[in-house]
Amino acid sequence: MINTNMPILVIGGGIAGITAAVDAAEVGYRVILVEKEAYLGGRVLRMYRYFPKMCPPTCGFEINSRRIRQNPRITVHTLATVDEITGVAGSYTAKIKLQPRYVTGEHAIKDTIINKLTSERANDFNYGLDTTKALYMPHDMAYPPSYVLDRTALSEDDEQMLKAECPPGAIDFNMTEKEITVKAGAIIVATGWRPYDANNLDNLGYGICKNVITNVMMERLAAKSGSAGGEITRPSDGKKIENIAFVQCAGSRDKNHLPYCSAVCCMASLKQARYIREKNPDATVTIFYIDIRTIGREEKFYYEMLEDSNVQFIKGKVAKITQASDDHSLVLDVEDTLSREKLHSGFDMAVLATGMVPNTADAKLPYKTAYDEYGFIDAAKNTDGIYAVGCASRPCDVSRASKAGTGAALKAIQCMMGGE
Amino acid sequence: MDTSERTEQKAIETTQKEPDSSVIEEEAVYIEPDVDFIIALRKQGGDTLKKCMQCGTCSATCGLSPDTAPFPGKEMAWASWGMKERLLNDPDVWLCYHCNDCSTRCPRGAKPADVLAVVRQESVINNAFPRFFARWINQPQCIPLLLGIPTLLLTLALYFKDSLGEALGMSIPTGDGIIYSYSHVFPHWLLNSFFFFFSALALIVTIIGGVRFWKILDSSVAYRIDKSQPRSLLKSCLKVLGNIITHDDFSTCVASRSRFYSHMCVLFGFGALTFVTIWVITSSINPLAAGDFIYPFNFFSPWKILANIGGVSLLTGVFIMIWERGKENEQIGTGVYFDWAFLFALILVVVTGFATEILHYIRLEPHRHIAYFIHLVFVFTLLMYLPYSKFAHMIYRTIAKVYAEYSGRKVK
Repeated sequence: MINTNMPILVIGGGIAGITAAVDAAEVGYRVILVEKEAYLGGRVLRMYRYFPKMCPPTCGFEINSRRIRQNPRITVHTLATVDEITGVAGSYTAKIKLQPRYVTGEHAIKDTIINKLTSERANDFNYGLDTTKALYMPHDMAYPPSYVLDRTALSEDDEQMLKAECPPGAIDFNMTEKEITVKAGAIIVATGWRPYDANNLDNLGYGICKNVITNVMMERLAAKSGSAGGEITRPSDGKKIENIAFVQCAGSRDKNHLPYCSAVCCMASLKQARYIREKNPDATVTIFYIDIRTIGREEKFYYEMLEDSNVQFIKGKVAKITQASDDHSLVLDVEDTLSREKLHSGFDMAVLATGMVPNTADAKLPYKTAYDEYGFIDAAKNTDGIYAVGCASRPCDVSRASKAGTGAALKAIQCMMGGE
Repeated sequence: MDTSERTEQKAIETTQKEPDSSVIEEEAVYIEPDVDFIIALRKQGGDTLKKCMQCGTCSATCGLSPDTAPFPGKEMAWASWGMKERLLNDPDVWLCYHCNDCSTRCPRGAKPADVLAVVRQESVINNAFPRFFARWINQPQCIPLLLGIPTLLLTLALYFKDSLGEALGMSIPTGDGIIYSYSHVFPHWLLNSFFFFFSALALIVTIIGGVRFWKILDSSVAYRIDKSQPRSLLKSCLKVLGNIITHDDFSTCVASRSRFYSHMCVLFGFGALTFVTIWVITSSINPLAAGDFIYPFNFFSPWKILANIGGVSLLTGVFIMIWERGKENEQIGTGVYFDWAFLFALILVVVTGFATEILHYIRLEPHRHIAYFIHLVFVFTLLMYLPYSKFAHMIYRTIAKVYAEYSGRKVK
């Protein structure tokens, strides 16, 4: 009765996609997991900690990557995108495009060779805060644990050097883009999100003032594996942060940018305020907000932060950030709407709490599906065998994304059991 | 607890939290929203005001707004809560130049600039005497009445000019005069006395409005005059006058930068025309009126040139304003009837004025007389309705600025 011959296709290897894949595979279904990046783990893996328990994502990911590795029913394709989906619920055909990784994984590449490379590329894992070599390991816990070669960043000299020094067959420079076709009974779409482009926030000084960063960059500053070795310092001169501002709703709940609330940024900033308080105990934190939106049990976390005398909450949306005359500090223009006072406060650094944009806002699925006005997949209007989950359907936090992944796995299984 | 109750509760909490603020009297108040006032504001162009979520972006963005009790954030809250008294007593609404920087940045599209414009309209109506007349004037359906009044009055004056002239002992030039003028149809003594009478009336009403406004400001809770730093009223007036002439406040605006130039064109153009008009009216008693400065002026008389430049400047300014409004996007808002009516009144005065001048030089009869008549009707509407229309911003904004300066409010 159970049609386990057909695999489930999971698009997106972030927390929602991984959870769906592992849960479906562990009850006996075959799963094809497709990830656009060179590694699994998505946005969550780039967090330093996540709430409410403030645990590092690496420990959960370690368990998940082991579950994937040990389960023969899961096939992982990284550097892969789904280009075409045809068919009906129970019997889909998908074309998957695989970008060349160039590194075959058949032979180890020595560190000495890597160190010889001069070509570098912006480290997108650290949101561009630092660089990596053109031949790089995406991060310490990368799965699959394999190097990737960024040929667009590789110089001619470095290419010759790699050809001469690497063991034969370690790097295949002739590798090209491939396309494979797979069959699937159901599809889980976990294409996730990206942070709203802070370059659009011209009034908030992003891209102009070096010490204006975004919340996702803050995670990589705080993480030991990040760009600053876990020391939260000022990007312009490496000074230890003494006072920091969190700018809530930076481009969120704003009709000129993202009109909706991304639901997680308040908690993210409160969490990051705690990083600061733990790492720089003397530092003061100021959170500028319209409303603090901590829902459910997360309210407790907020109340705990309210108790902290080094954390100040000011009700008012920051209208402008400018560079102070010392070329490092920032001046934030904001109205404290409770005291009705216009403030021009100075800070070492400002963190813009940018919201979530669904990746489907511009990169639509290669399949007819309903989106809401912001590009999130409208789950209620898609009743066939394709299930949107996690931030592809709505902004959500880690635990909600992973629970939704489990739910989607069940939906996919139900679809296949009832499918032709 | 429904939304409005919650809002009130919040308002009360807000006021309770800040008992020692020196600028706004913050004591626990139970707010009874004037719902009719909210409806009136929304109907007249402030339809977006309820979108405000009190984030403070507007106040922080505004280049004119001071650091203490900045506008328009608090006014948006008061408008939402229907706090009519506070709004009408608030000089800050007049410190706003409607440059739209706040509306452009507003994350909700609440258009604070437009809301303040409507509050200014309400403030004009509230201070005007008689109030009902001001209310009429600011309704588009009253346009026929507004134009009908001067048309009727002028027609009556012209119809009875012979008997009036006889009674007053004024001579009326008849037949082909030596000078090709208007005086046999529109005798100077008649127009002078007609317009003098109604101008004096408008001036009295304007003064009543101004005095009412000053009293309101003086008793308002929004400001207290800083007694520790007594200021000179004369110095405040001079400072404000300088500020008006240099258009300093306009130069802080980002969204409507062109207004710096367009308002300058309009103000100086209007000033030139007013000056020449007064010269003409008083020329018979003015010892300086000699040579080229004797009315009627020839085309190359300096005053004629000044008046023509003034007219062109005024027209250019108004056209720039209308052009800018036309292309202003939905974020900024296209202004309210109150603004548009004034702009069109200005255009009509200048256009009919030029039409009269051109028809006069090409000696087209009776067109030039018809044009002159229409011109006089529009001049009447512009001047006589001054205290009731947006034209009154001239007086109220100046008073508010002087008051702010005098009371020690730190406006940039």
